[in-house]
Amino acid sequence: MAEESYRRFLDPAVVSKLATMELRARLVVEGFVTGLHRSPYKGFSVEFAEHRQYMPGDPLKHIDWKVFGKTDRFYVKEYEEETNLRGYVLLDASASMAFGGDGISKLEYGRYLSAALIYLMLKQQDSVGLLVFDQAVREFIPPRSSPRQLHILLSELDRTEPASETEIGLVLHELARRMRRRGLVILISDLLDDPEDVLPGLKHFRHLKHEVIVFHVLDPREAEFRFERDATFRDMETGELMTTEPFAIRRDYLEAVDDWIGRLRRECAESRIDYVPIRTSTPYDRALFSYLEKRKRLG
Amino acid sequence: MGLTFLNAGFLFAALAALIPLVIHLISRRRVETVDWSSLRFLKELERKRIRRVRLRQILLLIVRSLIILAVALAVARPTLSGGLLGRGSGHAKTSVAIVLDDSGSMGRRGDGGDLFDAAVGVAREIVDLLEEGDQAFLVRASDPPEEVRPGGTFSRDALVEELRGMAPGAAATDYAGAIAVASDLLAGARNLNRELYIIGDVQRTGWSGGPRGPAERPAGREGAPPARAYVLPIDGPEGNLGVSAVSVSRKYGGTPGLHAIVAEVVNHGRRRADVPVRLFVDGVQVGQAGVEAEAGGSAMARFATSVDESEWHDGWVELPEDVLDVDNRRYFVVAPLERVEVLLVRAEAAGERDEAYYVHRALDPTLTADRFRVAEVALSSLESQEQGRFPVVILADVGRLDAGAERWLARHSSEGGGLLVVLGSRTDIRYWNRGPLAAAAGVVLREPVVRERGVRLAPVAPGHPLLEGLTVGDRLIDDVSVRRAFTALIEESEVVLELPGIGPALAVARTPSSEIGVLLTGLDPAWNGLPRSGFLVPLLHRVVERLAGGAERAASVDVGEDLVVPIASARPGRVEVTLPDGSGLAPTLRAGRRPTAVIERVRAPGIYRFEASGRRVALGAVNPTPAESDLAQASREAIGEHLAAWEHRFIGPTDTLASEILESRRGRELWRVFVYVALGLIAIEMFLARPRFA
Repeated sequence: MAEESYRRFLDPAVVSKLATMELRARLVVEGFVTGLHRSPYKGFSVEFAEHRQYMPGDPLKHIDWKVFGKTDRFYVKEYEEETNLRGYVLLDASASMAFGGDGISKLEYGRYLSAALIYLMLKQQDSVGLLVFDQAVREFIPPRSSPRQLHILLSELDRTEPASETEIGLVLHELARRMRRRGLVILISDLLDDPEDVLPGLKHFRHLKHEVIVFHVLDPREAEFRFERDATFRDMETGELMTTEPFAIRRDYLEAVDDWIGRLRRECAESRIDYVPIRTSTPYDRALFSYLEKRKRLG
Repeated sequence: MGLTFLNAGFLFAALAALIPLVIHLISRRRVETVDWSSLRFLKELERKRIRRVRLRQILLLIVRSLIILAVALAVARPTLSGGLLGRGSGHAKTSVAIVLDDSGSMGRRGDGGDLFDAAVGVAREIVDLLEEGDQAFLVRASDPPEEVRPGGTFSRDALVEELRGMAPGAAATDYAGAIAVASDLLAGARNLNRELYIIGDVQRTGWSGGPRGPAERPAGREGAPPARAYVLPIDGPEGNLGVSAVSVSRKYGGTPGLHAIVAEVVNHGRRRADVPVRLFVDGVQVGQAGVEAEAGGSAMARFATSVDESEWHDGWVELPEDVLDVDNRRYFVVAPLERVEVLLVRAEAAGERDEAYYVHRALDPTLTADRFRVAEVALSSLESQEQGRFPVVILADVGRLDAGAERWLARHSSEGGGLLVVLGSRTDIRYWNRGPLAAAAGVVLREPVVRERGVRLAPVAPGHPLLEGLTVGDRLIDDVSVRRAFTALIEESEVVLELPGIGPALAVARTPSSEIGVLLTGLDPAWNGLPRSGFLVPLLHRVVERLAGGAERAASVDVGEDLVVPIASARPGRVEVTLPDGSGLAPTLRAGRRPTAVIERVRAPGIYRFEASGRRVALGAVNPTPAESDLAQASREAIGEHLAAWEHRFIGPTDTLASEILESRRGRELWRVFVYVALGLIAIEMFLARPRFA
């Protein structure tokens, strides 16, 4: 059953560990939640938060007359924003995410990682949404903080299958345009697209004052490129073929990969984007926990 | 330059150079296909690295193919001829056969000295071009051609020593024979290169192929270059006078011991020659005559001298010195007159003045057995006569022979005895024609003829030796009229006298071992005037002498032939020969009815003196081959025809011998080069194929 199917994402050991962890937004965001994230901007609000004694200068319209009738004292209402931390989990579901060596595919890994993050944020009573994309937005579930959101998002994750090519840049720009309120963007992808397209997309979020975390998921084979014999490589997205001597070009390949990762890391750092490289050979929970602890230490 | 392969059969192994390509193609099919997330990075590397990788793969393929190809070519033993490499630091091993002309004509003097010395100089140049491992054969071109040093030599010094020991002789030239000898030697040589050098005056008389035909080249070996021939003519003056022949004949009548000596002088020059000719007998000049010989023609010098007919005499005819001395003197010998034992067989019923009577009186007129000892017997006693005792048997009109007599005569003839048959009234034509004598004599009788008026006996050839001095013009010195004779059909017999309008009168036939003479008109005054003619005695004497083989005793041969002298008069004992140079020799003795002493293939001209028990038993004269006097060179075309089967070249005196030869010599074997190339390629392959990533 589908319900039981997505529950595989909630490993009890992981869940219990996540209960002890938190994902704090480092950067100031609008609005805050009745949890970890509170908006510093108190004033008008949509929702009554608490009373406090009237002090000269407070707007008269905020005086709670009902309380005055009962107490003959002047108290004002303080309201809070309905918006909490809006988290957006962006999961790359392009065909390249289907690559996996002997173990788990990157997409499956991403699903588990996404599920853990969704659970964490919902536990923090943050709003979490999900955007699945390949060369375009395939599915977009707006952020909610309701308990049912977890079911909705995990079900979506469960249904997600890899397909098509990658256009990360376009998707990022599109989402950036959609997001009216500042939030936390968590991108889970192999980023196998032109950095010239990817980085501007990420920086767009930063330009709009969103916080961005990039989980760069790669299979160890992609990172190490260990092949003993000549091989013909077939692109999982385009079907294109190329025959070469892997052992002869490995050094150059690794150098190119290093350069690529290095650029992503560097430019993400410059834009205060958290760049987290992950290998699918590392258990997702360990990778996540390691990141969260590091994030907590760094404040 | 040219490239050849000694083991061309291994060139097929070069196809193995395709193996790396085949392996490459097969390997490509087995390449694993891997689903990959993105070719992004690989595409970037395509531009920079992968193309280099592909280039390296192609280079490796090429290098591996070249390695196999180089090894295959090395095994095929490539050789490079000529050019810089050919002249460079050596050449493939060579076997050379040097045919050096040491014939009589090479003894002439040229502008720069003797031609033979010049030829040896050229041979030395060839020897100097030989290197370690090269083999050389030296063949003399004089008749008979033979290898100077059996088996050849690999030593330059030994070859030079052999050349030093050679000298021109008096023999004729036999280039064809020498080339055949050299060809056989080269056929057995093992070295890569095989070369034939012909050094001499290339005299045209030395190129007669004879029964051999054009010179054959040694059979080729698989992969080896064909043998080559180089002709190196040594030029010299061609104008030459020589004594080509000397004849000695006993003159009958007149001074006892008188001999006529006639020498033929040939002028091979281009101008008329007027030369004195001197006669020496027993070392003393006894005559001189002047002759005028036209260019390309000959002239006769005639002499007459008396000698003691009881002894052997030798002599020579001599011309003044000219370019070639060896042919200016021609030797001769005069044998002493020996009494000839004649068996005269008469008919049983012969009358007192029968044919036998006249024959007996003609041969021994004084009955003193001076010149001829005549034993006269009846036909019935013929069988009892000792075989071998009588050099000549005369049948004087004996008519039919019985079987025993026929057998006796057959044996007599087979053992070299001469026979003279005088026909007459008892002659049975039918018996004659059916009997053995007709076939042996080559005379088939037809019928008897009678001419009452008589027919004058006439010479067939007035200059015939048997008739020398007995003719005046075309007539006999004495008119002999013949009234009765037999007509006959002559087959291969020599007709000396004839009866004009009737047929032959005297015929001499040569059998395998002797001669038979037939007189077709009887010695009967009723038949002809011979019995009373002064012509009969000298005629019979000469015929009997001829049948007795007297001329053979005065042996005269050319250099290169076997000198055979009769030594019938030698007493038992060792026979020794003194050669012209004074050295001694033991000849080969051959027993038989006419025992002989033989010296095979005499080389030096001069008088050979045979003695037994200290007594002279024979003399032999050896002379240069007259053809050797003709010094004209053979044309290149003629030589080329003779060497048509060879790859041949002419090297003239203005050509640089070394460069001509080394240019053509099949140069370096290149198998080592290809091995080094293969090793180098292996090193390159190991470098290209080294692991690029640890």
